[in-house]
Amino acid sequence: MSQYGFYFDKEKCVGCRACEIACQIWNDSVQTVKWRNVAMTFEGSYPDVSNVNVSMACMHCGDAPCKKACPRQAITKDDETGRVTVNRELCVGCMLCLWACPFGAPQLGIHGRMEKCTFCEDRPMGIKRACEEICPTQAIVTGKIEDLAKFSKQNVSGRLLHDESPGVLLGHEGN
Amino acid sequence: MKKDKNGNFKMISWDDAFSFIAEKLLEIKEKYGPEAVGYLWHLDSNEMFSQQLFTQLYGTPNWSGHGAACDQSRRLAGLMTYGHPLPTKDYENSRFIMLWGEDPLGPNQSLHENRELVEVLKKGAKLVVVDPYRSRTAEKAHVWLPINPGTDGALALAMTHRIIETGAYDADFCENYIYGFEAYAEHIKSNGYTPQWAEPITGIDAKTIIDLADEFARTKPAVADGLKGIVNYTNGFQALRAIFSLNAITGNVDGPGCLILKEAGPLAPPLVIPEEAVAVPQRPIISAEMGYPLAPDIPSQLFPKAVLEEDPYPLKALFFHIVNPAMADPNTALFKKMMAALELSVTIDVYLSETAQLSDIVLPEASMFERAEVRESLWSGPQVIMSQPAIPCLGSSKPLYDIMRGLGEKMGYGKYFQWESWEDWAKVATAYLPVTFEELKEKGVWHGELRYHKYLEDGFMTSTGRVEVYSETLSEFGYDPMPAYDDGNRVKPDADYPFQLINGKMQYHCGTHTQNNPYLMAIEGENWAELNPLDAQKLGIADGDTIELASPIDKVKIAVRLKEGLKPGIVRVVHGHGFGRTMGSVARGKGTHVNPIFDSVVNDISGGIGYNECKVSIRKA
Ligand code: SF4
Ligand code: SF4
Repeated sequence: MSQYGFYFDKEKCVGCRACEIACQIWNDSVQTVKWRNVAMTFEGSYPDVSNVNVSMACMHCGDAPCKKACPRQAITKDDETGRVTVNRELCVGCMLCLWACPFGAPQLGIHGRMEKCTFCEDRPMGIKRACEEICPTQAIVTGKIEDLAKFSKQNVSGRLLHDESPGVLLGHEGN
Repeated sequence: MKKDKNGNFKMISWDDAFSFIAEKLLEIKEKYGPEAVGYLWHLDSNEMFSQQLFTQLYGTPNWSGHGAACDQSRRLAGLMTYGHPLPTKDYENSRFIMLWGEDPLGPNQSLHENRELVEVLKKGAKLVVVDPYRSRTAEKAHVWLPINPGTDGALALAMTHRIIETGAYDADFCENYIYGFEAYAEHIKSNGYTPQWAEPITGIDAKTIIDLADEFARTKPAVADGLKGIVNYTNGFQALRAIFSLNAITGNVDGPGCLILKEAGPLAPPLVIPEEAVAVPQRPIISAEMGYPLAPDIPSQLFPKAVLEEDPYPLKALFFHIVNPAMADPNTALFKKMMAALELSVTIDVYLSETAQLSDIVLPEASMFERAEVRESLWSGPQVIMSQPAIPCLGSSKPLYDIMRGLGEKMGYGKYFQWESWEDWAKVATAYLPVTFEELKEKGVWHGELRYHKYLEDGFMTSTGRVEVYSETLSEFGYDPMPAYDDGNRVKPDADYPFQLINGKMQYHCGTHTQNNPYLMAIEGENWAELNPLDAQKLGIADGDTIELASPIDKVKIAVRLKEGLKPGIVRVVHGHGFGRTMGSVARGKGTHVNPIFDSVVNDISGGIGYNECKVSIRKA
């Protein structure tokens, strides 16, 4: 079995929310239910302000606490891809999965059933997910977890190679 | 659709619409001359059809883009300095990027720029953003400089002073490729544009300016540029001239990582009109006779005067193609008065916009999904994009070619509109590209080569063939030939109106076009005013309150949000909401139309609108 997942780069994300909308449109979900959500947190006061943008959806966890919490066994983890999905026929909308999820990923849909990121289950593997495809800065990358780990290391080493002034690099890392 | 006697729209056939408009146009030409017709457009790539019909066949000089509400001052500064209206940026190869009032990662997203900018930052390039508002781009910057509004030119000149004083300029480039460097150096010195001089003006301390200037001159390649945050002030033209000159004296022109004098792909006009059939306008464009001989586009705020006072000559008909001045231009009341005075007003749009609602005739255009487009991209090298209809036209909408063809035929120019399908005209338009039409259709894009240092062979397209820090053209027309700091006319806050109102776009909406999109409205359903919490506290205003913004000409009520990333003393509004589109069930009644409080303040050389020159008072509503 493989485990697919998301790589997200907060330094690249500009908070445009295109990923949220691409997800809603691809998955025919309504405008008010967000399987992917961009959270923006601001800190400090003028003129020393800082902020972080984080675009988050279900992490499709290896040990999926939501799955364990569901009294109806409505949540399953796919052997092939590692994606965690809710069967809306079985779900009764008790929201125990939401309580169990460390990321607050499952959302109560308009029909009173839980919904969440399906890793775009109707898109064939090997092409980009809807959120990944739309992202203007390529802040979201999906793939097998092992490849994503390599990718993230490459990013750091690539930066070391290009950077002639390590001071700037440290500045980035500290953010 | 056509308005009846009672002002209600009635559906009419395309044929009737074309006949009615054509007849009226011929009558106006007969009575007042072709120049009595104006055609305003936004950015549509199919605009070549209207250009060919209205300027080349009908013969009006008054065919113009929306520049005055946009980057007019930057365009003119580019032309006067480099002989190029739209310098682009080669972020990918840059080491030091300095952006003034420009937010490529926010509402002015151009996708390739976004990617290039974040990538190059990851590689260690340095980004400095000068903006009183901590924009999306400022969030990613190493240095954010919240400058006093409208003083950008002073900062650029002070950096120039430091670079010239320390000899850190590129002597070779200055000697061989710049016109008037000696005079400029003298002008900077004799005017005393020192970092110490700029400190109280800009609110940025002299030490920071010195360090910045040193780093800018030392780091190669570097690029400095500005956009909305500068052109929205009446002194923005000179400020951009100063910034463009700053690039020039450090030798950062048209090289890798610099400002690029973009080459366009070799597109041809799609209609074949023999030279002897091309009409020669008898009168100059209205802006030339209204005091703006150098303005690249007609400053749209001139239209009400031209129409209402027949100055400089009668203007009887206006076309609006995907522009919405009723919503976007300052002084909405004056605009309405003008619309009522026209003999013919036609809006061509994909929406029943506010301007459409004030027009006599509305022609529904096919949207970008239903029509073909052949256009040059904004990438730094030559690049042509060919988009193709994804679905057939919905309802009774038509693409612009068909609309111009229908009009042209009724006006007696049928023989020039011989193309039946979009492929027919697209083939002619792309005939000079070094790819076959089939390949272009398949890929949708043609990439040329991004050539650097083109001036080595071709020089610059200015009157002297060099980068003109001293502009002969400006001097000839009686303007300041060198970038100077002139703050005399700028509207500044005073005791009665103690806040500077600045104006921005919303990241999640596109101007006034997207307020009926339920997805975007679910993210931001209304616009708001932003205020620093320090100011809010003094005024007893809390986050989410409704406030009243009063300028000398009007007042509006709007919700307020507190923002630490905004310089105190400023209130920032985003425009686009709050008009209540008749057709827009989602947009109707959401947010506040803020433009009535802006007066028409313009740059006296470019005619660009100074949207940020507005002083207001604030109170809790
Ligand atoms: S992978 Fe698909 S379902 Fe999951 S957040 Fe992205 S777009 Fe939504
Ligand atoms: S699309 Fe990309 S840049 Fe935009 S909010 Fe999502 S992750 Fe961030």
